[in-house]
Amino acid sequence: MSVIMDSGRDRRRFTAALLGSTAAPEPTPVHHRVVRGVVVDATSYMLCLATPNGEERFLYERVTGFWRGGEVLPSELRPGDDAVVLCSRDGRLVAERVWAQTARASGVIVDSEGDNLEIDPGHGRPRLTVVLPYRTSGRVSVRHPRLEPGYLFDVVGVWRDGEVWAARPATTQPPHPLDSAPRRPLTREHSNTIEGIATWYDPAWGRSAHLDPRAHAAGAAYPSLDRSGHEGRCDRRTPCLPLPLLSTGATLSMRNDCTRETAVVPVIDCAAADSWFCDLCPSCGTHAAGRIASLTMISFVALGGRLEAGCFNATVTVANQEG
Amino acid sequence: MFPEIFAAVRELQLPLLAALLLMGAVAKAAPRSQGTGVTVLVPQGWRRPVTVLTCLLEVVLAVALLTLTGPLGEVARVLTVSLFAVSVVVLSVVRRRDPEAGCGCFGGLSREPIGWRTLTRASLLAVAAAATVGLAPNGWDVAATPTLTHGVVLGVELLLLAALSPELREALGRTIGADSCALREHSPRRSLRRLRRSDVWRTNAKVMLSAEPEDTWRHGCWRFLRYDGMRHGQRVDVVYAVRVGGPRRTGVRAALVDRQSGAVIATFGAVTTLDLQGPPRRLPRPRQAAKRDEVEGRGVARPDTLAKEPPGEAGRGMPGDPEGERIQV
Repeated sequence: MSVIMDSGRDRRRFTAALLGSTAAPEPTPVHHRVVRGVVVDATSYMLCLATPNGEERFLYERVTGFWRGGEVLPSELRPGDDAVVLCSRDGRLVAERVWAQTARASGVIVDSEGDNLEIDPGHGRPRLTVVLPYRTSGRVSVRHPRLEPGYLFDVVGVWRDGEVWAARPATTQPPHPLDSAPRRPLTREHSNTIEGIATWYDPAWGRSAHLDPRAHAAGAAYPSLDRSGHEGRCDRRTPCLPLPLLSTGATLSMRNDCTRETAVVPVIDCAAADSWFCDLCPSCGTHAAGRIASLTMISFVALGGRLEAGCFNATVTVANQEG
Repeated sequence: MFPEIFAAVRELQLPLLAALLLMGAVAKAAPRSQGTGVTVLVPQGWRRPVTVLTCLLEVVLAVALLTLTGPLGEVARVLTVSLFAVSVVVLSVVRRRDPEAGCGCFGGLSREPIGWRTLTRASLLAVAAAATVGLAPNGWDVAATPTLTHGVVLGVELLLLAALSPELREALGRTIGADSCALREHSPRRSLRRLRRSDVWRTNAKVMLSAEPEDTWRHGCWRFLRYDGMRHGQRVDVVYAVRVGGPRRTGVRAALVDRQSGAVIATFGAVTTLDLQGPPRRLPRPRQAAKRDEVEGRGVARPDTLAKEPPGEAGRGMPGDPEGERIQV
C-alpha cells in the first residue's frame, strides 16, 4: 500500500511540474476530527478506542449518535468492534457520531441461496457473503427487487462473523442485469467539472482497524482508471459519467454538495463496481446520476458523509491544463 | 426482360440472406449483446445459451444457403423463411413486453427500441427467403457469376435495407465518432511512437539511461512517461507528457527533475496545442514599415514611453506575449 502511495506522490509531483500545480493539487490531510480504531471499552459516558496512536478516549454529548446496523445505545458497542468516530467541532475529546462494524457490499450478485447472497465487488477483491435478516429483507427488496445472479446489489450493513448483515439499501437496483447495461453516449466536449455521487468503501474489510494502514488511508477509488498505469487488472467498464481517465496518484478536488465541504483526495485504487452503477443519491435534492468515486471510510466521513446513507452528492474538478 | 429481372432478384436473395445471417451471427457473438431481442423473453440464466443457439442456427443456415442444392437446399430455404417469420412474431411480442428493448438482430448494435422499420425488415427478409424456394443454383454459384442486373438489383436492395436499418446510425457513430481526448482509451504504444518522433525526445536522448519507461500514467488528455536519467553525474528523472489525440505535430512536453532534491532542472516543449489561426503574414518592406510607424506615431521614441511596447506588437517568444511566456527552455 505504502509503495502505491509513494509512486502516487511522485506521479503527482511530475504531473504538477509539466501541467502546472492546478492540474495536480496537493492532497489535503484527513481532518483530525475523524478517527478509526478498535473498541476497547464502551461505557454509557465514554468510549475507549485502540488507534495507531495508542488508546484514545472520547466523551459523549447528549446528541451523540451511535450506529451499529441501526441507532443503538453506547453500551451496545462491544470490545473488538471496528469503529469510526467523528468528533465534535469543538475538539477531539467529544464524539459527535460513532459507527461500529460498518460494512458495505457493493457489486454484482453471483449466487443466491435463501437469505444468503454472494457478491462480487470486482477488481479481484474477495467475494462477500451477505445475509439478509428478516428484519431488513423487506426494506432491501423494495430497492432491490431482483436478487438473482447477474443483477447489481449495494447495501450497507454490519460485519458479523466475516459476513455482511444487510441493514439498509444504499441504492436502487437498475432494472437490467449488468450485462445489458446501456453504453454511454459519445462525449465530444468534456468539462473539467463533473457532478455525480460519491460513495465509500472499506479497503481494510473491517479487520484490525488499529493496525492495518489501509484502514487509515485517505483517498478514493476511481471508476475511470487508466488500464495501463495500474498494478493489477482494473476490470472496470465505461462509467456512465464522462470521467477523465486517470491513474493512481492523480488528485481529485471534491466538494460535498450537501455540506459544502471540500477536500483534495488522491486516487489510490480502482473502483470497478462504481463503474457498473449509474444511480442517484437521494441525500439532498436531485443531482446527476453516476458515481464519481468511492472514498475510503475515513475520507468519506471527513467530507461530511454519513456511512449509513452510503453516498452524497459531489462535484469533482480535474484540471487538465491545456495549452 | 421482366422475367429476367425477376429471376435475378430471386437468385440474388441467396447470397444476400447468407451474408446478413453471417453478419447477424458475428454481431450477436460479440460481448454486450445480451438483453435484446428474444433474450428478453427468457430467464436470466437462459440468455447466453439462447444467444449462442441463435448464432449457431444463423451460421448453419447461411452456410446451407451458400452451398446446398436439391432437396437439402430446399429444406434450408424453408427453414430460413420460418426463421424470419418467427422472428417477426417474436419481435412483436418483445415489443409488447418491453417497449424499450432493442431487436438484437445485430447484437449490441440493435439497441434502438423495436419499431416499424425493424418489423418491416424482418417481414421483407421472410418474403425474400420465400422467393428463393425452388431455385436451382446455390448461393455460392450466384455470387461467383455476377451479372449487371445482379449489381443493379443488389444496389437497390441494399438501399432499401439501409433505409430500414436503425443499426446504421449506431455503427456510423461508433466508427466515425470519438470521445473527448480525456475520455478516450489510448494505447501506450501510440504515445510512445509520438514521443519518439518528437524533437524533445532527441534533445534528451543523451540524458536518458534506458529506452524503456520506468513508469507510465495518464492524466486526462495527457500520458506521462518517466525515464531514468543521468545529468552531470546526478541522477535525474526525465518525465515526458504526450498528448492523446490532436494533430500529429502536437508538442510533447518534458521536464528534468533532480532525483535527490526534487527540483525541476529544465522544462522543454512548446505547450500550445492550438493551430495557428492563419498563415504567417509577410513583414512589410522597411520603407513601408517606417512610414506606417510614422503615421501611428511610433517612429520616434518618447522618453516616457520608452519602456512600453504597444500591446499585441510583441513577437513570439518576446516578453509580453502570453504564448511566448510559456515557452521555457
